[in-house]
Amino acid sequence: MTGWHADETTLRRWIDQSDSLPEGASVEQHLLSCAPCRARVSTLVSAGPATSPVDLAAVWAQTRDAIELPRPSPLEWLLQRAGLPAHDAHLVAAASAFRGRWLAGIAAVLAFAGATAALGHSRGMWVFVAVAPLIPCVAVAISYDPRIDPALQPEVVTPYPVLRLVLLRSVAILAIALPAVALAGLLVPGWAPSIWLLPALGFVAVVLALSTWMSPLRSAIGVSLAWLAIVWFLVAQAGSPDAVLQARFQAGYVVLAMASIAIFFVRARHLRELRPRRNWS
Amino acid sequence: MTTSISLRGVGRKFGAAWALSDVSLELSPGVIGLLGPNGAGKTTLLRLLATALPPSQGELSMLGFDPTVPAERTEVRRRLGYLPQEIGFPHGFTAFAFVDYIAVLKEWTQPDLRHAEVRRVLDLIGLAGSSAKRLRAMSGGQRRRVALAQALLGSPAVLILDEPTAGVDPEQRAVLRTVLAELARTSTVVLSTHQTEDVAALCDRVVVLDSGRVRYDGQVTELVGRAAGRVWLADAPDPAASASWRTGTGRYRNVAEHARTGVEHVEPSLEDAYLLLRGSREPDWGHAEELRS
Repeated sequence: MTGWHADETTLRRWIDQSDSLPEGASVEQHLLSCAPCRARVSTLVSAGPATSPVDLAAVWAQTRDAIELPRPSPLEWLLQRAGLPAHDAHLVAAASAFRGRWLAGIAAVLAFAGATAALGHSRGMWVFVAVAPLIPCVAVAISYDPRIDPALQPEVVTPYPVLRLVLLRSVAILAIALPAVALAGLLVPGWAPSIWLLPALGFVAVVLALSTWMSPLRSAIGVSLAWLAIVWFLVAQAGSPDAVLQARFQAGYVVLAMASIAIFFVRARHLRELRPRRNWS
Repeated sequence: MTTSISLRGVGRKFGAAWALSDVSLELSPGVIGLLGPNGAGKTTLLRLLATALPPSQGELSMLGFDPTVPAERTEVRRRLGYLPQEIGFPHGFTAFAFVDYIAVLKEWTQPDLRHAEVRRVLDLIGLAGSSAKRLRAMSGGQRRRVALAQALLGSPAVLILDEPTAGVDPEQRAVLRTVLAELARTSTVVLSTHQTEDVAALCDRVVVLDSGRVRYDGQVTELVGRAAGRVWLADAPDPAASASWRTGTGRYRNVAEHARTGVEHVEPSLEDAYLLLRGSREPDWGHAEELRS
């Protein structure tokens, strides 16, 4: 609020909409922060002749809506179209992981790995094997790690079920990341694009399960280091990491995913960092 | 008056150390001030009351619910507002968007009602004109008020505030006092602060914690009354005083455990009484039940 107030003539012009565009905008800006002038507008409207057919209350509400309401992101719009209630879509789309810089970073890493595989022969292939299956699990971890999304820190105690939020965000991330990985997989010669999906899903499940003990980001870092160690070991031993894509390993990813999901649901109430450090029971 | 929060022998341990030990309190609607030095256990107690932390021992009941039972904890959270000591803000959010986001987490699912409530709390704390401003462009005091706004959503039955006025200018502190005093007509407001003037201005009752234990629990006026005759002005600091400092007039304000005669006594403040209590060797200065009896 300022010490300055609009005079009656100015307010009348604004009510009658006979003022210029800059003057009208200036008065509107002032009215936003000046309760006394808003009260005078009400008085002028009720006291004077009905010079304007405009419903001022409605105009005021619309003006505030236009200024204050956060615009739904394209993702929020898509989620709502997919049948998610508006408030859930709002919570999912608010995750940092869906912000441009994270998406751009992940897309850049994936594009780099794909290009390396397409152009770099066998060593390029190693890079893709090492990187591509980890993208979804890292993205999922980012979507609910309270260090990256401070509004999910344990201090924010609300009745909204944390498990629901984590699952909604994970599914939304997977809906973006898995097709992206499969698409990048088209660049890798000699392998079907779907070959990358099972390890990616398995790692996401492991991150979810581990985040009932430690923070999601630490879980993703742990999974990534373990995977990179396996790839490095296979390259050192056999000269190629291809074995991790063979049928036997693929079956292993399914088992890993199922076991991890089971652990996650059994331990869901222990979701670390989104809950107190020392759990209730 | 109805008891809304009850703690019986509540303690909280971190590793081998007890941050809070054997705390028993019965809290009713009104503003209850929580004072104590750093590390006294104030924030731990507030986190217990906010259901962000479970007790290691003792019984805690809030609004008739047992927060150790998940379903009942959710019921408590539906009726709770909490301002933590430190709160993180998501990147790129405006004040309105942040409070709106928390409102969704607090189950305000109807957009029109939610937006009206967000506006109400932002207006209440004097941020109507800054609601579309990005949080990172705001001052520390403004961000603190935004954090407080989210705690006020839905006029909660229990409001837990950890340092609500930190970084807030005097004018806005006065506004916040008015808001809290109004809310305290029907709600239980627990306020932790280092600002004794906030406690003196707002609270009927004050709880002083020290080393995880309650050292005083009673009326603010009674605590201040204990300092009567023990605060005086002099031209030099008194070596026997618990605390002594030079005032703006150039004279020294002395606070001592033992009453002095033949000196220029002044009206004690809550800060004097608090300093006296801190300097006292007496372990327990009183408890609400004892003071009432």
